[in-house]
Amino acid sequence: MSGIFGNPKLLVGLIVGSIVFLVSLAGGALGEAFGFGFLSAPIAVIQLPAEPFLPGELFPGYTIMNTMITTWIGIVLLLVLAYFATRRLSEVPSGIQNLVEVFIEFFFNLATNIAGPTKARRFFPLVMTIFLFIMVSNWLGILPGFGTIGWIESPEAVIHHKEEKAKDHHVDLSTINLQVFNDSGKFGIIPFGSLDDAVTAEEYEHNHGVAEGKRAGLLIPFLRSANTDVNTTLAIAIVAMVMVHFWGFSSLGIGGHLAKFINFKEGPIGFFVGILELIGEFAKVISFTFRLFGNIFAGEVLLISMAFLLPLIGIIPFLGLELFVGVIQAFIFAMLTLVFASISTIPHGGEGH
Amino acid sequence: MEGNIASLGAGLAIGLGALGPGIGIGLLAAKAMEALGRNPEASGIIQQNMILAIAFAEAIAIYALVVAVIIKFV
Repeated sequence: MSGIFGNPKLLVGLIVGSIVFLVSLAGGALGEAFGFGFLSAPIAVIQLPAEPFLPGELFPGYTIMNTMITTWIGIVLLLVLAYFATRRLSEVPSGIQNLVEVFIEFFFNLATNIAGPTKARRFFPLVMTIFLFIMVSNWLGILPGFGTIGWIESPEAVIHHKEEKAKDHHVDLSTINLQVFNDSGKFGIIPFGSLDDAVTAEEYEHNHGVAEGKRAGLLIPFLRSANTDVNTTLAIAIVAMVMVHFWGFSSLGIGGHLAKFINFKEGPIGFFVGILELIGEFAKVISFTFRLFGNIFAGEVLLISMAFLLPLIGIIPFLGLELFVGVIQAFIFAMLTLVFASISTIPHGGEGH
Repeated sequence: MEGNIASLGAGLAIGLGALGPGIGIGLLAAKAMEALGRNPEASGIIQQNMILAIAFAEAIAIYALVVAVIIKFV
């Protein structure tokens, strides 16, 4: 017994921790059901497609999405890192150059183990870029401000959008939930304890608005993690697979590479296996896309839900999970690209034939 | 009853879809542990390959999750 109670710092930490836990439990969505709910807020918008960065169109016919802005930020970050790492290149590295060299050397050794020394030099730039870009994008997505700061879409626009997408343009207004903001000029802030105030579109129309000094609508974030958009992950997957086949063609020649997929030399079964491999190539693109998209989007939905259910502290272990998943998914994408590339540069009969 | 059959579909999609990968990942990790126990020196290589193989198995669960999310939110 003296293990816990004999150590005052641990005891104080435990007590503070359980008080915070109880406060957030009572204040969140669970406490809302029992009448407390002083920290609660309506759940953030969860939707699959990316949302426009600003209302209206900046260029005619082309809306810039919030995930595109995040990819730009990631690119700028990587460029800045590269600039500072290579500013004064020296044989004996120090500072940032040292750190980046450790990183790159670790992955280059890994690539050499998988693909052999000459091939690794060819494949390494793309593979490392994919890894760095995906990791930076995933890690950017868990910074505070992503998904929480945005512009407010008015209820009329929300209803209009839902009606455009729904079957025969009819939408049951009581199913649209709106958030209620404290209105202060240009900015709106979702206040604490506003889960109670959340109105459905039906009530909004019925009451012709909400109370004085408040505004209803939906928060559309300015920034959203880049890989929560299928377009981003599809683009990276297409680039990776196109380069894999390009390397296959350049190593084995057009005939040699195609012979893997359409081969008449091994009889009808060989032909069938070749067709299956061809279908498998498209399946790889789909699998790359949805593996990355599913992991990161599910992580985002998980973070939103946990922040909704357990306000102050519920999100902490899941941020750790997101950090881990971000690195692992980037690593897996890069390693799989490397493995597919090294397989596609091996002649059909295997090396040594 | 609240909700409609689409919500039921979403729940079933991810629920049933996570059965297979769960078992698959468990088998993978079990074999990796066995191999680690036999040969602790190869732990780095075993670990890396295990993570890669687990990602493949997990991808199937992620497909099921994407279907569930599409049913629910689109």
